[in-house]
Amino acid sequence: MNKLPMIFVGVLITFASSWLGLVVYPFLALGHMQPAPDEDTGGYFPPTTTGLAVAGQRVYAANGCIYCHSQQVRPAPLSTDIAKGLGPRRTVARDYLRVQPAFLGTMRTGPDLTNIGVRQEEANWHHRHLYDPRSVTEWSIMPSFRFLYKLQLIQGQPSDDAVKGLTGPLAPPAGYEVVPTDDAKALVAYLLSLKRNYPLPEAPLPPAKK
Amino acid sequence: MKPQSLLSSINPANEPDALASYERAEIDASTRGPVLLFFGSAVFWLLVGSVLGLLAAWKMTHPGLLDSLGFLTFGRIRPAHLNAVIYGWASSAGIGTGLWLMARLCRVPLMHSKLLVSAAVFWNLGVLVGVLGILAGDSRSIEWLEFPGYATPILFVAYACIGIWAVIMFRYRKPGHVYVSQWYLLAAFLWFPWMYATANILLVWQPIQGSAQGAVNWWFAHNVLGLWFVPIGLASAYYMIPKVIGRPIHSYYLAILGFWSLAVFYSWNGMHHLIGGPIPAWMISASVVASVMMFIPVVTVAINHHMTMRGHFDALQWSPTLRFTVFGAMAYTIVSLQGISMAIPSLNTLTHFTDYTIGHAHFGLYGFFSMMMFGAMYYIVPRLVGWEWPSATMIRWHFWLVASGVLLMVGALTIGGILQGLAQYDPTVSFRSSLDYATPFRWLRGISGFLLLAGHLVFATLFVQMLLKVGRRKEGPALFAAPADHKPEAAV
Amino acid sequence: MTAGLVLIIGGLVFLSGSAVLAFCWAIRDGQFRNLSAAPLTIFDKDEPVGLPTDRFPSRK
Repeated sequence: MNKLPMIFVGVLITFASSWLGLVVYPFLALGHMQPAPDEDTGGYFPPTTTGLAVAGQRVYAANGCIYCHSQQVRPAPLSTDIAKGLGPRRTVARDYLRVQPAFLGTMRTGPDLTNIGVRQEEANWHHRHLYDPRSVTEWSIMPSFRFLYKLQLIQGQPSDDAVKGLTGPLAPPAGYEVVPTDDAKALVAYLLSLKRNYPLPEAPLPPAKK
Repeated sequence: MKPQSLLSSINPANEPDALASYERAEIDASTRGPVLLFFGSAVFWLLVGSVLGLLAAWKMTHPGLLDSLGFLTFGRIRPAHLNAVIYGWASSAGIGTGLWLMARLCRVPLMHSKLLVSAAVFWNLGVLVGVLGILAGDSRSIEWLEFPGYATPILFVAYACIGIWAVIMFRYRKPGHVYVSQWYLLAAFLWFPWMYATANILLVWQPIQGSAQGAVNWWFAHNVLGLWFVPIGLASAYYMIPKVIGRPIHSYYLAILGFWSLAVFYSWNGMHHLIGGPIPAWMISASVVASVMMFIPVVTVAINHHMTMRGHFDALQWSPTLRFTVFGAMAYTIVSLQGISMAIPSLNTLTHFTDYTIGHAHFGLYGFFSMMMFGAMYYIVPRLVGWEWPSATMIRWHFWLVASGVLLMVGALTIGGILQGLAQYDPTVSFRSSLDYATPFRWLRGISGFLLLAGHLVFATLFVQMLLKVGRRKEGPALFAAPADHKPEAAV
Repeated sequence: MTAGLVLIIGGLVFLSGSAVLAFCWAIRDGQFRNLSAAPLTIFDKDEPVGLPTDRFPSRK
């Protein structure tokens, strides 16, 4: 008469199979992956995320960049990501070894950021863009992240950190300057660190670009 | 356990009608406290979630809207909206419905209601802390698991109480066949803590390395839908549709087949969110195959509900419960078939990173699950408070506002998403075009948000009126099938 | 990697085997017998088959 154990067991077992396959397996197989040695320089790929960029991941997460920006390049026959210039090669599991968490993303309301550090290498560009996206790209729908910046009166000399070349309606009035907070500096350091343009054994760079 | 001894002394085969209704009213009344608490908090979070979602929608077309404050930035409002509706609204409504159904189907009064009341309090506390944490800038940015690490243990404590209760309830059920809704409910109550604990341990508390996170993330996020909301929604449909029209379900065989095939295939589905992504190819292939196999449980449910309803579609005119439930059942079929098509890699490559996915998610969680929950609440609440819904007109307004709202939203996002996807696929088209194509449809989506919010305000008003017993007691079969000397209140 | 494969394949064999056993037990237990009576369990003497149980409030 008592069907409880049977239902209990059945319910748990069907679920356990996927738990093993989709959780335990990647945990074991991907969890212990090592960076690939780079024979030319003696370093490792992917390079370690260091210094401010580590803190930048936290700012990236806190402000939900992931909801509009992916960080993955899909392989060529399946998609046109590479032809679109998102990166020289597909991204693979090893690319995400050093990041925490892995911001793979599910939306491209904005452009993919897998290689944003390659496309835009200048910190000041990122600060201008975060402070007022539409002053850089007129048609952008990215929100302004000016809450990560301080508008302050210039005391004598302009500050070294001040964002240069700001234009448009949010530009600081005369005698004022816009200075990034620690969060903004960390976020930009993280964005500049996003360069998945190194070769990996399982995902070499295409020969034409070498 | 006084009620239990009373009930167990009655032989159901010989009891007069009055005793059957007395027994049922007694069981309904025993669930009143916890179920109304879960329903009330669900309605509260529905309103909070609607406002957050509406704001996020309009930020897509007006990026300058309220952008000077960090806690109102799109990247915080959006996860706050998602978590408020998933854990605050949908889960609370689902738990409330599940408790009531479980008590009715086990034919025993609800036991340990203090356990459940404290579970409801903890659950709401956890959601509140989590949503505020996201707005304050502590979001983890792991989709569906954005709640900061300090909020999830509270939810887990709350959940443990509920899961333990469900098993106890099932253990003490009256002898007889186990109805298919009970299978679904028991399964959901057992699956959820497992996946929630796994995901939180591996992603939030002790994060694992690299892109294995993506696999765990989507295994969880897809299963929340398929192995938590879907079973609760279907459990409700399998009870409400036959009960309201007074006709047993068409095929019990199909119902059992549907349950087991869902259990086997659904939990493997999640990796189709990562097609082309950096995880082992076999995992994605397995997910694509399992996703296509979902055809079996989906079609069995669709056939079963359609055949049960056949010849009774006029009932949609006179039953609010049925109207919402049948809308939800139809949406379940369509959204599941759509989901299967989206798992096919050549289509997925177009829709993957676009608004199309957002439309699909809303169709599932709103068109299917939320509508199911509205239907269930229209049936359950009068039986708990001993009062009829105060206004048929307002119920109709609620239905048409939310039905047109969700259809407009899904339609707009689907078309906009396809155009956006085509632009993103063609290497000769600039990125800007993908925005320009989607923008008019995002306006429509913003408008649909107002329709939904208006519908929710109507429903919240009705719900509060029920709690306050506004208006006069009305006649009708919904509540007063019980003989006059055995009113539901008499059983308290 | 190999340890993972062994675990997953072994686990799958073990778990699907147990699922089949549980399913057979359910058949023996009679859970799938008399499927025509099972859907009737949600009806009562006072709410029998054929009695609608929900209506818009203002209508008789």
